[in-house]
Amino acid sequence: MSKPSDLIQGTLDLLILKTIALEPMHGWAIGKRIQQVSKEVLQVTQGALYPALHRLEQQGWVRGEWREADSGREAKFYSLTKAGRVQLAKELEQWERLSNAVVMVINAAQEA
Amino acid sequence: MKLWRWRDVIRMRLRSLLGRERVETELDKEMRFHLERLVEENTVAGMSAREAREAASRMFGGVSQIQEECRDMRRTQYLENFWQDLRYAVRMLGKSPAFTVVMVLTLGLSIGANSAIFSVIDGVLLKPLPYPQAERLARVFYRSDAYPKFPLNPWDFLDFRARNRSFESFAIYTRADVQLSGTGDPVRLSTFRISSGYFRVLGVEPARGREFEFAEEKSGSGNVVILSDRIWKQQFGGAPDILGRKLLLDSQPYTVVGVMPPGVDHPGNSYNAVAYGDTVDAWCPFVFQGNSASRGSHYVEGIGRLKPGVTPVQAAADFNGVMTQMATEHPADKGWTIYMVPLFQEIVGPVHRMLLVLVGAVGLVLLIACVNAANLLLARAAARQREIVVRAALGAGRWRLVRQMLAESLLISIVGGVLGALLAVSCVRVLVSFLPAGFPRMGAIHVNGMVFGFTALIAIATGFVFGLVPAIQVSRADLQQGLREGGRGSSGSGRQTRLRGALVVGEVWLACLLLVGAGVMLRSFVNLVRLDPGFRPQHVLTAQVALPYESYKSPDATVSFYQRLLTNLSSLPGVNAAGAGSDLPWTGYDDNTGFNVEGKTAAPNEEFHGRYHVASPDYFRALGIPLERGRFFDGRDKRDAPNALIINEAMARRYWPGEDAVGKRINFTDDKPKDSDWFTVVGVVGDVKDKPESSGAEPAFWWPSLQPPGTFGNMAIVLRSSSDPVLLTQATRDALHGIDPSLALANVRLMDRVAEGQFSTARFALFLVGLFAGLALALAAIGIYGVISYSVSQRMHEFGMRIALGANGWNLMGLVMRQGVTLTAVGVALGLGCALAFARVLDSLLYGVTAKDPLTLFGVAVMAVATATLACLPSARRATGADPMTSLRAE
Repeated sequence: MSKPSDLIQGTLDLLILKTIALEPMHGWAIGKRIQQVSKEVLQVTQGALYPALHRLEQQGWVRGEWREADSGREAKFYSLTKAGRVQLAKELEQWERLSNAVVMVINAAQEA
Repeated sequence: MKLWRWRDVIRMRLRSLLGRERVETELDKEMRFHLERLVEENTVAGMSAREAREAASRMFGGVSQIQEECRDMRRTQYLENFWQDLRYAVRMLGKSPAFTVVMVLTLGLSIGANSAIFSVIDGVLLKPLPYPQAERLARVFYRSDAYPKFPLNPWDFLDFRARNRSFESFAIYTRADVQLSGTGDPVRLSTFRISSGYFRVLGVEPARGREFEFAEEKSGSGNVVILSDRIWKQQFGGAPDILGRKLLLDSQPYTVVGVMPPGVDHPGNSYNAVAYGDTVDAWCPFVFQGNSASRGSHYVEGIGRLKPGVTPVQAAADFNGVMTQMATEHPADKGWTIYMVPLFQEIVGPVHRMLLVLVGAVGLVLLIACVNAANLLLARAAARQREIVVRAALGAGRWRLVRQMLAESLLISIVGGVLGALLAVSCVRVLVSFLPAGFPRMGAIHVNGMVFGFTALIAIATGFVFGLVPAIQVSRADLQQGLREGGRGSSGSGRQTRLRGALVVGEVWLACLLLVGAGVMLRSFVNLVRLDPGFRPQHVLTAQVALPYESYKSPDATVSFYQRLLTNLSSLPGVNAAGAGSDLPWTGYDDNTGFNVEGKTAAPNEEFHGRYHVASPDYFRALGIPLERGRFFDGRDKRDAPNALIINEAMARRYWPGEDAVGKRINFTDDKPKDSDWFTVVGVVGDVKDKPESSGAEPAFWWPSLQPPGTFGNMAIVLRSSSDPVLLTQATRDALHGIDPSLALANVRLMDRVAEGQFSTARFALFLVGLFAGLALALAAIGIYGVISYSVSQRMHEFGMRIALGANGWNLMGLVMRQGVTLTAVGVALGLGCALAFARVLDSLLYGVTAKDPLTLFGVAVMAVATATLACLPSARRATGADPMTSLRAE
């Protein structure tokens, strides 16, 4: 189980944005999806997930909407806004640059 | 893209602020949903219902903690804190109503005064003139050594129009009122003769019909008229078929070719002036007739629209080039240069300085009110030291305390601002009614959004300014000392007392500046009013009569008309003298002519010239203009008698220095004079200056109305009455209609009103600066009272001891007084020093006194110290009531 501080700063935002880019989801499903896709490596706690969702909503990247979930109950579904899509592209690019850089450093260190 | 995002962000913030309850329920619901899914999952995994629930709660962790974190994401806590501060501020201010009322009233008055003056500034100086691209409009005058601003000659205008390269369009206009008859009572229309491009210059088009054409400037084709919207509605009921209608103007048929839209402002004229604004009733074409080579007569005013990018200076250079060419063609055009001035400057120039002085004065008042408010807040903060120290001790951060204090001062200033706005709304009409007649752009003065914006701005700025000093002071509070001292309720540290003393000094300083201003303006005003105007305006009724040329073509007809009228008027009961003249003093009349003086030759570059008038025998007596030598006109000065003249002293002095002018002769001919060309001076009358403050009168002479050199159908009637002259109005009108019922008695005025009009600008400025100075003094007195009263309440213990040691009441009062007077004296010294340094600012507004006037400075010092003494008196008396027993017991 990884705490938010274990995730590189801003990575949680990227994970959330990427996850709901496919379809609108509620908080529970977002957490589950990240867990499944990462083959249980990444576990997002509620304590990190919900504040992050609310922050993204306040910043206008995502929009919350109350809808009926498959369980028949009302749940708050988060979807990407247009601005959120742009933000996602930006963060993806940044992430790629960062991870490439990290890989390069590691490879260089191994060669040495 | 950005925009959508901001729309979302703003929607979220508003939702968090306004829909708080819904947001909270939704947050709850969201958390519950998650929890339920956890429970579900656990149940599926095989736990019992209870186990599942317990496990879920464990896994979920602190719900309220997560919620709180979510709340933090809303970023609205600053605003929420602000609301909290504000609610607290309302409670605190409600607890000390006297303090609150004094603060709000003083600030409200000062802010209101600033808003009112700003609305005047906005209307007169800030708003553009109501013409499209008004900055390109310029007025054109002639200038010579003797005349700084002189009208144009019409033939010169034609040359300028043809040859200049700077103006898109250039036009002339001149006042030529006409009488409209045939539509009920005859009325005088304030009318201008304009050249064909006039409205194109202003950039306005008739609402109906058309502008004048070039062809209508030609003699014989100018009988067309354009009406103002006002006259069209008043006189013709807004008749839609007005175009093409024939009107009788001065008994001649004129065809209406146009109606202007409402709100076409007259750009003002300096010769026979009509005030700027919606003051013109009708326009007729200026008809060029006579000899185009005669360039000596100057009576038309030039106005032009500069081509884009051309400055008035460049245009003046261009015009001067044309002027030089013309001077080689016409000798009369020699000696003139062009004076070109932007229209805006021409209109508001005369009041610009005065308005800036008013802004300065009212700004000082606001500054004093700020200082005063800071002072009162400091005093209160001292009294609240304990509360503040306790809050700080309980963990309130420094900025939180500053914010709290600022919330209070902002609340006060905003309430003051609302009061000020109300005051401005209700006062601006009064203020405008106090404005001198003919004050430029009076109609543009309104309380509008701009004024409210300004009020809001200064209210908020004021709140910050006067709140910041006490707020910072408070936030520096020494916790330990505060808590220790707090018990005894005395906490004014030395630093605070010094600060408050300094603020009082500042208040007195600024108030003294204003008092000096008001003082010298008062002295200047007294000087103006005390000046001898050269005539006696009291008990004089004046009116204007214009004889239409068609009915009174010959000089004989006009002469006999006025003779009959004056005979009838002088026989009215209560009339001491009845006269008629071409004009009245102090009304801007300025018709000049050159002449030859017998036995003298004019110096090169200087002609014999003077202002010409016409006067009936009793004209001077009716106006109270004294006869210095010779005689007034009388029945002898008839058409077949020798030509007589009366001149003023200025003319006698200039052309016959050291001689007796009576009996001397002048003529007006360019040829060799015949006997009948000579005019003999029969009398010399006292000088009447153009304005009360003019340094001297212009040379002037009068032809007898019984032997006028032309047809003078347009005359001013002057009646000197033994009682209230207003009562003569109806009898005068009856007398006029008894002779010719088709004539209008126009412009009925009391001469003393005309005379007062000359002082109205000075009176207006004096009134306002005086008012502001009074307000400033009152604020300073409040400040002194506050500081001394606080200091006395702090020192009661000490005073008790002093009494116990043998001091009497007088000693104590002296102690208190000395403190107040010392602060005041420092303020007075600084204020007077400052006044001396800035004296120059006022000099152009003053007459016969400078802003360094020692008497005024002394008076201000006395006044300030006396006020301070009065303000200290209640506290000083309280000091004598100190109880020695209390003090001794406390030791």
